[in-house]
Amino acid sequence: MEDMLFYDRLQFAFTITFHYIFPQLTMGLSLMIVYFKWKYLRTQIEKYNNAATFFMKIFAINFTMGVVTGIPMEFQFGTNWAKFSELTGGIIGQTLAMEGLFSFFLESSFLALFIFGEKLMGQKLHFLTGFLVFLGSWASGWFILATNAWMQNPVGHEILENGKFVLDNFSELFTNPWLLPAFLHNQMASVVTSAFVMASIGAFYILRDKHSEYGRLFLKTGVVFGLISSLLVAFPTGDWNAKNVAKYQPGTFAAMEGIFETEEAGAEIVLIGQPNMIEKKLDNKIAVPNILSFLTYQEWDRQIPGMDQFETEELPDNIPALYYSYHIMVGLGTIFIGVMGLALFFLWRNKLYNIKPLLWTIMFLVPFPYIANITGWYTAELGRQPYLVYGLLRTSDGVSPTVSSGNTLFTLLGFVGLYMLLGLLFLTLVGKTINQGPTPQKH
Amino acid sequence: MTGTLISLISILIGIVSANLFGKCYKQFSFGLKGNTLVGVFGSVLLIKSFGRLGFDPWFIMNNGDFDRLRLIINLFVSALGGVLGLVFVKLIYKKMNDESRK
Repeated sequence: MEDMLFYDRLQFAFTITFHYIFPQLTMGLSLMIVYFKWKYLRTQIEKYNNAATFFMKIFAINFTMGVVTGIPMEFQFGTNWAKFSELTGGIIGQTLAMEGLFSFFLESSFLALFIFGEKLMGQKLHFLTGFLVFLGSWASGWFILATNAWMQNPVGHEILENGKFVLDNFSELFTNPWLLPAFLHNQMASVVTSAFVMASIGAFYILRDKHSEYGRLFLKTGVVFGLISSLLVAFPTGDWNAKNVAKYQPGTFAAMEGIFETEEAGAEIVLIGQPNMIEKKLDNKIAVPNILSFLTYQEWDRQIPGMDQFETEELPDNIPALYYSYHIMVGLGTIFIGVMGLALFFLWRNKLYNIKPLLWTIMFLVPFPYIANITGWYTAELGRQPYLVYGLLRTSDGVSPTVSSGNTLFTLLGFVGLYMLLGLLFLTLVGKTINQGPTPQKH
Repeated sequence: MTGTLISLISILIGIVSANLFGKCYKQFSFGLKGNTLVGVFGSVLLIKSFGRLGFDPWFIMNNGDFDRLRLIINLFVSALGGVLGLVFVKLIYKKMNDESRK
């Protein structure tokens, strides 16, 4: 049983990690495409329209890969997590169906119109289709986050005698206090990714002295969006999320902050340190006293319960992974603010386009927002363990009882092989698009 | 479980068939990027719409009894989806960008 659970979780972790490479870019990019299109409508400067069309091509490739890699996710609810689907289908079925029917259809239909219909529709309607693509992709995020928010902080349901969850109050699903901060944090993080991708392509063009006009536009837009979104990811959205974890999942909060023992007065914030699970302490730690209490409750001396206050079986089952995921996310977020702040300073001084080390740094930073986004999700998902529905349904009770670990391992290997092919195809397509660069439209 | 893998393989077949068709019949081609995107959606559309006739991944795996014939039909329909997708999208594209309509 433990083997089964391990392989089912491993397969889900692998497929969702690979899948989330794509939507995190499309959600952020859709906002930036709308911005370019809006700029074009206002100024009638052709380069903004060409930039929107260029990034819509990258959007379309990502969107398609997101669809392909999303299909196994949908299947896995039935194959690997049949008990979870059976017990909670009355709740998560609502939000997931709404995601498919409202957001995905909206996004895909208007994406096709945006790509093919510019000449037929005229510029104002073309802008509107771009806006509806943005709306569809963000609504998609909203419904997925509503599902996850219910799993993190279950509300608006009733549990029947047979253990099935049924919806008791529909509006509570969408007014869940977990949902709005999680959604805003997630969306801002996806804007960070797309801003870094845009800035990185811009830096690449400038360094290669190719499509330089677009290079400067992409770099400037990427840096401005990157700094604003990096700041918003940290405050207020990240701060709001952390407060929610402290309020609704205090054991998880202690684990992700690495608080093994409850301190008498204020809790310190750990900057660096390695969890030592045998001695129940942090090794080589660098910490600042009382800061965590202040950040969480705005009180310097407020006590924060450590892991010693909770039963072991109520705490996340992989504390080091949770701790490192959280700290990698926070550390990278801080680096993003620093780099984008520096880039904006030199942009203001009109020197950015000539500082090659900074351009190289921005270009090579592009994988890191992806890592930050994914470790952020690991923090949320590892933190919810050992539950699928926090406090109510254990992960071990949601797994399919008849699927063997061998079967899961075999298909996992299959996914690894197929996703490698898909990954290569994705890189080839995106590489070709970037290499070709924005092409002027024929009007 | 293996059914999920089959669904991914059939999408890949859709991608390959759309690209091959685009190579052979240039008038329908959208280039590597476009053909790939159309291949994905063409194959998914056809398999999702008609797979229930007996060749979707769950019928192929039929409680662990792997059915080769159904797999071949699935892959064939998937390939057809890629090709038909390319033809239809090209037609729509031409209609939408028809200069005489403006």
